[in-house]
Amino acid sequence: MTRQGIATVAQQEFRIRIRAGRWRWLLAAWFAVLLLVTVLLKLSVDQVDAGDATNKGVVVYGGLTLLVLGLALLVVPTLAAQSVNGDRERGTLATLQVTRLSAGDIAVGKLAAAWGTSLVFLALTLPLVAYCMVLGGVPFGRVVVVSLVLALLLGTVASLALCLSALLARTTTSGVLAYLTVFALTLGTLISFGLGTALTQESYTATSSCPTAAELEQQGVPAQDRPSILAGCTSSTFTATRSRTDRVWWLLAPNPFVVLADAAPQLPTETVAQARARTAQEARGIHRTNLRDADPLGVLGRSVRGLRTPPSEGGGLVSVVTGSSHRPVWPWGLGFDVVLGGAALWLTARRLRTPTRDLPRGQRVA
Amino acid sequence: MTGQGVVVQGVQRRFGEVEAVRGIDLTAHSGEVTALVGPNGAGKTTLLLVLATLLVPDAGEVRVAGFDPVTQADEVRARMGWAPDVFGLYDNLTCREYLAFCGAAMKLPKPRAKERAAELLIQARLADQADVPVHTLSRGQKQRLGLTRALVHQPEVLLLDEPASGLDPRSRVELRTLLRRLADDGTAVVVSSHLLGDLEELADRVVFVDRGQTVGEHRLDQLPTGSEPRPWRLRALDTDALLAALTRRGCDHDAPSLAGIEVRLTGDDAAAALLAGLVRDGVPVVSCQPLGGQLEAAYLELTR
Repeated sequence: MTRQGIATVAQQEFRIRIRAGRWRWLLAAWFAVLLLVTVLLKLSVDQVDAGDATNKGVVVYGGLTLLVLGLALLVVPTLAAQSVNGDRERGTLATLQVTRLSAGDIAVGKLAAAWGTSLVFLALTLPLVAYCMVLGGVPFGRVVVVSLVLALLLGTVASLALCLSALLARTTTSGVLAYLTVFALTLGTLISFGLGTALTQESYTATSSCPTAAELEQQGVPAQDRPSILAGCTSSTFTATRSRTDRVWWLLAPNPFVVLADAAPQLPTETVAQARARTAQEARGIHRTNLRDADPLGVLGRSVRGLRTPPSEGGGLVSVVTGSSHRPVWPWGLGFDVVLGGAALWLTARRLRTPTRDLPRGQRVA
Repeated sequence: MTGQGVVVQGVQRRFGEVEAVRGIDLTAHSGEVTALVGPNGAGKTTLLLVLATLLVPDAGEVRVAGFDPVTQADEVRARMGWAPDVFGLYDNLTCREYLAFCGAAMKLPKPRAKERAAELLIQARLADQADVPVHTLSRGQKQRLGLTRALVHQPEVLLLDEPASGLDPRSRVELRTLLRRLADDGTAVVVSSHLLGDLEELADRVVFVDRGQTVGEHRLDQLPTGSEPRPWRLRALDTDALLAALTRRGCDHDAPSLAGIEVRLTGDDAAAALLAGLVRDGVPVVSCQPLGGQLEAAYLELTR
């Protein structure tokens, strides 16, 4: 495998793709849809609260990003799912295999072309992302990380689709299976997590203990209410059932949406000045929705981290899920996805290796 | 340029239940055109796929340009050109782009690939079409482009599967000339074809295969003259005199047609003897020719 060989294949694939499709229309439609959604998100954020001017971008960016991932998961399979068996059907694969290009050159070159095309779609969303940053609250670091993770996820899907096109003789079969693979990664992980959770039901016994005065103070309970709470509390032992999602969280980890949301860096904590301003407003009776709490990526990320966290022993008062204290899910999910994509690429190259010993049923050499 | 040609011994290959090749021997020398002849399904295409480093044979020895196509595929590929019977072209590329791409795939340096593309376009009479998309080419032009692709890296061994199918007569003549020239320059050319007339004028050697096996391997000037009677056609200025003379000699003949009279003769000696006799009888014979050619006769006899 050489860089020059990969570049030769990728260039060729790119050129053919560009000349074959109606790319201008496809890219225009893609941008138009995302632009429309961005505008709608902005308008709805304005509706909710016009006051929190500094964080509007957070919600718009989160919504936009999840939508971009969803749409890209629909587009990417078509970019690669007929790459190898399509060439075989047109009779162009064997003439490529008898050149001095190696199987690795062909596999990686084809992946580079499909992945590269999907990155063009991603690049087209950058103006909208810039708009979100202008709206406020989106740190540059978050955009960088989210874009990288998105690119890796699309590469994984492209590699899986490419592999199917190398394994299966018919382009229609590989096309359908590529979409089923995407469904397995998105809905499939969700369903298996749901079913897995049902299996982890357990009953447990716990004793509810009364909070101490110090704890109540820490939780911000007003001083005049504390005595009545302490007086009305009796500790008791009870039995209940609970789901141990911390045992099956990994079923959900490969889900691209989970990976993306959880990988997005947490928003920086409120600055002292911001917190003071908010408290001052609240003291005057003005309660504003904090748009940071409505950050779609943050909400999703925090909830999957919560799923990974074992229930605290003793069953005391549920602590507020802050996210930071929980272990992240995305390294496992992204790691799994990338390894899967890598394995798919390896298998693709293996299937492209010639001379062949075994020929799958219904597949011609040339 | 003297290469080592192609040596094939006892190659076998099956696809599941089907024994496509059951034992083919073949030798193709550098500087010669070797014809691979046999009925459809005889295993010609499978053999060429083995030679082209695409299929692993189940058994047998194969050397292409001195290398083993299974264990030394890259060495073989650097020295071998292959034009399959059905080949795909990228419809949206121009001829020039396509050939440049093939050159890059063969690891020619970029300027060399460009230069080679220009050379080959002229050779294939495609210079006028160099910058139009491939899908606008005629069938014959596409065929020529497909053959040209196999020549990009000036291979020592050229493998052609039915290169002349779908070509018009002029293109076929040109193909013959091209292959002859390549052979004269030292290339070992292996060509499978059903166009026996073309092969008879082009090939130096012929290998007959039938049902996956080699049934004969001959120099073209040493074809077995069969024991079977073959048709010959005689024409004379005076057809009646010819007819009378043939009848008198008890020769197995058909009714006269505008083209002459067909007779069945066994072996070249019989033909020579008959002709001498007719001349002695004073019949004004103007032509005496075998019908279908020697190669066809040998083919029909060997692949029954």
